[in-house]
Amino acid sequence: MVTQAPSRMQPRSHPVLASIQQFWQKRGPDLIPPLIGIAVFLTVWQLVSWSGMTRLPGPLSLWTDTRTRELLLYPFYDLGGLDKGLFWQTLASLGRVAQGYTAAAVVGIAVGVLVGTSPWLNKATYPIFQFLRMVAPLAWVPIALVALQQNQPAAIFVIFITAVWPILINTIEGVRQIPEDYDNVAKVLQLSRKDYYFNILFPSALPYIFTGLRIAIGLAWLAIIAAEIVMSGIVGIGFFIWDAYQQNYISEIILAVFYIGFVGLLLDRLIAFLQMKIAPLRK
Amino acid sequence: MSLLVAVDQVDKVFSLADGGEYIALKGIDLTIKTGEFVSFIGHSGCGKSTLLNMIAGLSLPSSGVLTLEGKKITEPGPDRMVVFQNYSLLPWRSVRENIALAVKSVFGDRPRGEQRAIVQEHINLVGLQHAADKMPDQLSGGMKQRVAIARALAIRPKLLLLDEPFGALDALTRGNLQTQLMRICDENNVTAVMVTHDVDEAVLLSDRIVMLTNGPGAEIGNILDVDIPRPRQRMEVVEHPSYYSLRSEIIYFLNQQKRIKKRRALKTAVVARHGLEKVNLDIGFVPLTACAPVAIAKEKGFFAKHGLDEVNLMRETSWRGIVDGIAGGYLDAAQMPSGMPLWFSLGGHKNIPLPVVSALTMTRNGNAITLARRFYDQGVHSLDAFREMLRRTPETQHRMGMVHPSSMHNLLLRYWLAAGGIDPDHDLALQTIPPAQMVVDLKGNSIDGFCVGEPWNLRAAMDEVGFTIATDREIYDGHPGKVLGVREDWATAYPNTHIALTKALLDACRYCADPENELEIRQILSRRTYLGTAIEYIHLGNPTTKVCTLDKPMREYAHHLFFGNGANRPSRTEHLWHMAQLARWGDVPFPRNWLEILERIVRVDVYSTAARELGLLDAKFTRGSIHLFDGTDFDAEDPIGYLNSLTIKRDITIAEVLLDAPVAAMAA
Repeated sequence: MVTQAPSRMQPRSHPVLASIQQFWQKRGPDLIPPLIGIAVFLTVWQLVSWSGMTRLPGPLSLWTDTRTRELLLYPFYDLGGLDKGLFWQTLASLGRVAQGYTAAAVVGIAVGVLVGTSPWLNKATYPIFQFLRMVAPLAWVPIALVALQQNQPAAIFVIFITAVWPILINTIEGVRQIPEDYDNVAKVLQLSRKDYYFNILFPSALPYIFTGLRIAIGLAWLAIIAAEIVMSGIVGIGFFIWDAYQQNYISEIILAVFYIGFVGLLLDRLIAFLQMKIAPLRK
Repeated sequence: MSLLVAVDQVDKVFSLADGGEYIALKGIDLTIKTGEFVSFIGHSGCGKSTLLNMIAGLSLPSSGVLTLEGKKITEPGPDRMVVFQNYSLLPWRSVRENIALAVKSVFGDRPRGEQRAIVQEHINLVGLQHAADKMPDQLSGGMKQRVAIARALAIRPKLLLLDEPFGALDALTRGNLQTQLMRICDENNVTAVMVTHDVDEAVLLSDRIVMLTNGPGAEIGNILDVDIPRPRQRMEVVEHPSYYSLRSEIIYFLNQQKRIKKRRALKTAVVARHGLEKVNLDIGFVPLTACAPVAIAKEKGFFAKHGLDEVNLMRETSWRGIVDGIAGGYLDAAQMPSGMPLWFSLGGHKNIPLPVVSALTMTRNGNAITLARRFYDQGVHSLDAFREMLRRTPETQHRMGMVHPSSMHNLLLRYWLAAGGIDPDHDLALQTIPPAQMVVDLKGNSIDGFCVGEPWNLRAAMDEVGFTIATDREIYDGHPGKVLGVREDWATAYPNTHIALTKALLDACRYCADPENELEIRQILSRRTYLGTAIEYIHLGNPTTKVCTLDKPMREYAHHLFFGNGANRPSRTEHLWHMAQLARWGDVPFPRNWLEILERIVRVDVYSTAARELGLLDAKFTRGSIHLFDGTDFDAEDPIGYLNSLTIKRDITIAEVLLDAPVAAMAA
């Protein structure tokens, strides 16, 4: 009995350990399954690549391959030209996405409000929008290159044209779905146009607009990779992948893919966060 | 009070997706005065919200005009603020901001401080100080509706429009909000229009209740004035004498609408069989001892015996139901008070003459006048004593109940009162009350007495709430009580059915008159499908039972006469007496062409054929003049001279009553 007493006291004497233990007790059931899933996935992948069934290197190659290890460890190096760390590559792509996406948001919301408030315009434009929406980002690349002649604006255009449809269509829908009651309130109060836009239309359509924005950010990020792969000679994560493929640095591609996935996830979370801040769901 | 809203001949037609049209409202005429609270009530889909939206300007009429203070309503505006059923608060603005938006849009030219003061004043008005900065989704339904009301009132609308404002709330909250709304409306002299389907809410809040019929083509069925004084308290309103009659009026109307709808959905075809044009009949009756022939014809198979094998008896709780059923054409035939065929034919119903004929008198006698027990205790035992009592208490409004203006009860009661020197309209007030309601009202002291058919006089006496002061045998012995009535166009379309129906009921009358069957008949009548009352209260003939000792305060039981001695033969002289009495009290004009009308209404031919086919040969019988208790003899010689000789009467109009040429009803 006496000897057991100190061991019971042990957790209390180590507060850091105690809090970790507490954390695991609380979040463990949520965290353990995905961790196991990821571990199994990586293991199977590694085993497959060792077995020689495919030329694709396993995840361990990120560390075993010297070139890749350097890229992994030094994301911020900049040797000028196209020879930059992955951070700079990603940042350049993000910059293009930001420009194209911003333009898509501005145009999509503005045109969406205009079309949504006019049933006639809506009918007139519906088939065009539905048609253009179906054109894949890659198909826009040659068109953009022909039209704009330069890589940089063409890439931004491809982002824009990919991202604008979900924003546009959701905004139209949001404006059309404004509950009749709110419209009636506006009519009875004879609200001015400005008051109507800022007090009824935008707040009411905002959840739809944000749905569009969230779909669009994912598409924009997908499109930048596609666009950069085709457009040679620019700094960007897409062209980085293409370049690595040309030179057969397969494990570098895998590293870049991890970056892309991670950034895409972050972007989606960012918009979700903005939505929660600006337009929380209300009954 | 000046006129605020006028709705003039407004129709509303919606075009349907399949290219058709739906006529929602048809020919709506309505005026609303400043300071009035008007309710629209009706079944779902009757267009009451459509009408409200048209007043709001949110929807425009297909034809006709709506005006506010004489100006045509063409668009919505803050002078007609709406409180929507689902509150319509903007969920992204707090309570204060919601109200402020309305105030800013209407009073935008006023200084900010004043606007803020208005907002705060109305938050206080609905008692939401503690929640002023909350978002709508943090509020309960009742609180949200209070915000909506505050928002509406804050902009000082000329007219407040409420679209089922409390429909989505629980009963307790609803009650509280009704009280608050009533207080706010009273204090601020608000003019309001409310759509509701809650009968009690309508009575509690309204000055007038507009009842809409079912669509398509909904119309204003009736408008009720609520004469309950303001300010009102929920508990006091419930005890006001008008409350229950208003309430039952609305419920009757709504039930009637429901039945018409069902009726429209069914649309039964005419079934012809056994050489009869129609054997599927809907026959209306009111649960009274006098309905015995109808009940017996059904229960003992007399209808079937005479070929009518698909007869449906429709139990109506009041004569109103019979009137609407006959006028609406969804009853084939009905048991009617003896004056009703004439009353219909002379335009008693909505001032439109509708020829209704009678071929059979089903009962005689069976009525009495009952006064409240307290008069007996005060020594009021006779008509003279009653008159003296009325003279002594002119400040008290005395009320007596009767069942329908055209019923013998009304005519007998008026005759009796007038013979005693009492003016039935000036010295007291007569109220139309369904028979089964009489004893309840007498108990509740909302009436002082009544004239009604049995079993209700006996019941009042046995329950010791009233006493029989006069029976019909004293006033007018052998008077017709209930008759068979059918529309003339029906009788023309189905002549053989009419004869078969008369035969079946005449056969049943004979059965009812046989003392051996009495117990069985009383048992049948006491069932729920008929009277639904205990058998002790139901008596047919001369009761020598222990129940009815016939000592004072009960008088001789007013026993029914169902058959024999020419009792069933329709008599022109009797109908003329009714005609003269109806004209005397101003219900209908006295027709200059009275002979022609009697010829058409009193179908002795049908009766004679029916009686002959049953082998009953009393056709030689004539009644001659009618003897009444005040010593008057009434005969068919000079009815206009008779009317002129009366002292207590209303303004009598004598006019030609033109009935349309008899045409057969469309065989539907």
